[in-house]
Amino acid sequence: MKHTTRLLDIIERSLNGPMMDEEDFNDQHVTQGLARVVKEFDITVSQDQIINQDDALADRVWEAAVAFLSECGVYCQTTNRVIQFSKKEIIDILKYAPDTVIVGQGTDAVQEYARSVEDSRRPLLMGSSIGTPIEDEYFVPVMISYIQEPEVDVTMAPTLTNIYGYDIRTRSPLEIISSWREVELTLEAMRRAGRPGMAFTGVGSSISDVGQLSADGPGGLRRTDLHTFGIVSELKTSFEILNKLTHILQRDGVVDPYANPIYGGLGGGMDGQAVLITAAMIALNVVFMATCVGTSPTHPFNFNDTGKELLIPTSLSFQAIARNSKLMSNLTNTAVGGPGTKTLLYECIASTVMMTVSGGSRILGPRPATGTVTGHFTGLEARFTGELLTAAAKLDRNKAEEIVQKAYAKYEADLTTQPYGKHFKDVYDLKTIQPTKEWLDMYEEVKNEAAGWGLSFD
Amino acid sequence: MPSQYDTLEKAILSGDQESGVSEAVKLLEGGQDPVLLFTECIEPLLEDVGEKFSRLEIFLPEMVNASKVVKAVHETAKPYLKNEEDDVSKGKIIIATVSGDLHDIGKNIVKAMLEVNGYDIQDLGVDVPTQTIVKQAKEFDADIIALSALMLPSLPFVKDVVEFMEGNQKVKVIVGGGPVSQEWADEAGTDGYGNNAIDAVALVKDILGA
Repeated sequence: MKHTTRLLDIIERSLNGPMMDEEDFNDQHVTQGLARVVKEFDITVSQDQIINQDDALADRVWEAAVAFLSECGVYCQTTNRVIQFSKKEIIDILKYAPDTVIVGQGTDAVQEYARSVEDSRRPLLMGSSIGTPIEDEYFVPVMISYIQEPEVDVTMAPTLTNIYGYDIRTRSPLEIISSWREVELTLEAMRRAGRPGMAFTGVGSSISDVGQLSADGPGGLRRTDLHTFGIVSELKTSFEILNKLTHILQRDGVVDPYANPIYGGLGGGMDGQAVLITAAMIALNVVFMATCVGTSPTHPFNFNDTGKELLIPTSLSFQAIARNSKLMSNLTNTAVGGPGTKTLLYECIASTVMMTVSGGSRILGPRPATGTVTGHFTGLEARFTGELLTAAAKLDRNKAEEIVQKAYAKYEADLTTQPYGKHFKDVYDLKTIQPTKEWLDMYEEVKNEAAGWGLSFD
Repeated sequence: MPSQYDTLEKAILSGDQESGVSEAVKLLEGGQDPVLLFTECIEPLLEDVGEKFSRLEIFLPEMVNASKVVKAVHETAKPYLKNEEDDVSKGKIIIATVSGDLHDIGKNIVKAMLEVNGYDIQDLGVDVPTQTIVKQAKEFDADIIALSALMLPSLPFVKDVVEFMEGNQKVKVIVGGGPVSQEWADEAGTDGYGNNAIDAVALVKDILGA
């Protein structure tokens, strides 16, 4: 087993760190702590420019995030204690963070790597819509629609709406059955699409430790797959989450967690949000021993991350990480638009271009229709995202800003109306697993438009 | 708003509990009608705070702090109320994230929005067992049970609460959260669904008529 000493140290801190009330942690550690560092490090985020062009600001966000995390720590809800690491400890741990990892098997294996700002190497694409509900009968076809796309490097599973007709109930035998079903169906889709060794992240259908870990072993999630879990916003954990981490480490698996700060929540506006996203991703490595660190910062009412108030701090945060560490960062593009809408495709442009030039290592999704509408996700938007990754890697931040602003203007008005689009079965031919002409034409139209803005798809 | 409330308004908006309470005492000792204090000053002010948050012109910490000042002022004003029915709470609500789900920010946003709109809230936290929700709703004499469920496998626990409360005409069960839709909420037998915190306030106003 790797990292036993580090894991025991984290457990020790969760058992013996300073004890405090959770509300006090929210107020004194998170909100007040962020306000303090935003002022101290002079973090003033542009209200309009989406892609950060100011390297000094990105570096200050990094400094602020490290200072904030060292004072704030991560709250363990099980023990009511704060897991804290000093600034020196954080910096020392980050020195040894992995900057590359190979996932998957055989000819389907791919390498993920840390990227720099304006890096000309293409980030990876994790295609599919994690956590989005899907009926059992459409699970394999929709997953094939992603895995068959050459642009998709790795994948992840959606969530079954029910298991053999039963509601899935957390911490119950039904959750364990559904976890296994999710893995079985994903592996079947990979075999049928001819990419059996492709890595995928899981287990999405399960939220409890027992549900997730049951299908993470022989016959289930493989050591070469990515093993995900979310921490609780903001900066919180529990033994249930640490149990998942412990099991992944016992299996020598790739630790692939995420943290999704809520905009307008404890971190306040964009200034605090930029620091909070950065700190949360640092915490994923320092406290949760992540191989790769992920985020999908969330709007409190629209539940997406494609509005300016989220794109702006995300760009800054990814640049802060890329310029000051070797962490492999990833973003889930959570869009309001659904399949069969141009909105979704414009959101793909904004999010993918922003993340690529800002130094992210991998994009997940997109997750259309905020990831909440059953069956509203398809492989075609992932194909487009993959093409955008390649095209965006040729851009500098100036040109990227120009393109992203054009795309944003196309969907800004839709952020509150939320055109959720259509179910997979209504925009794909289920026999051939190919997009309908209408959906394909829409994609071609937007792609041509984006090419006219300066994205090179050659 | 009448100018005698300027200092109190400032205290509420800046989250200054000490100043808010001392100003309330000053006003009440000076003969201020406690009911008017709420209807003329605090209620419109909090409504404005809620609206500003719904436009994200202010953020959760400011809204929570304003709400904390008002709670303290409310406690201070209680001895000055001539009749118990003058108490200003518009209704009692139990709020909780259901069993198996640890998400709390969405619930906390809804809670803060309801508080600034004048409802009396008891927050049971996250990962709350069905039995606890039901028991606490009875003890608190709640008008509404507001449930948050962010993950698909936690939804059956909402149905359990609905089933437990069947036959209880007084308490309404409402639900919100990522995987929930109006259709699901209807099927589950809940009394209402809110897509977000703004919807939740409108829904509660609709149910309680206040």
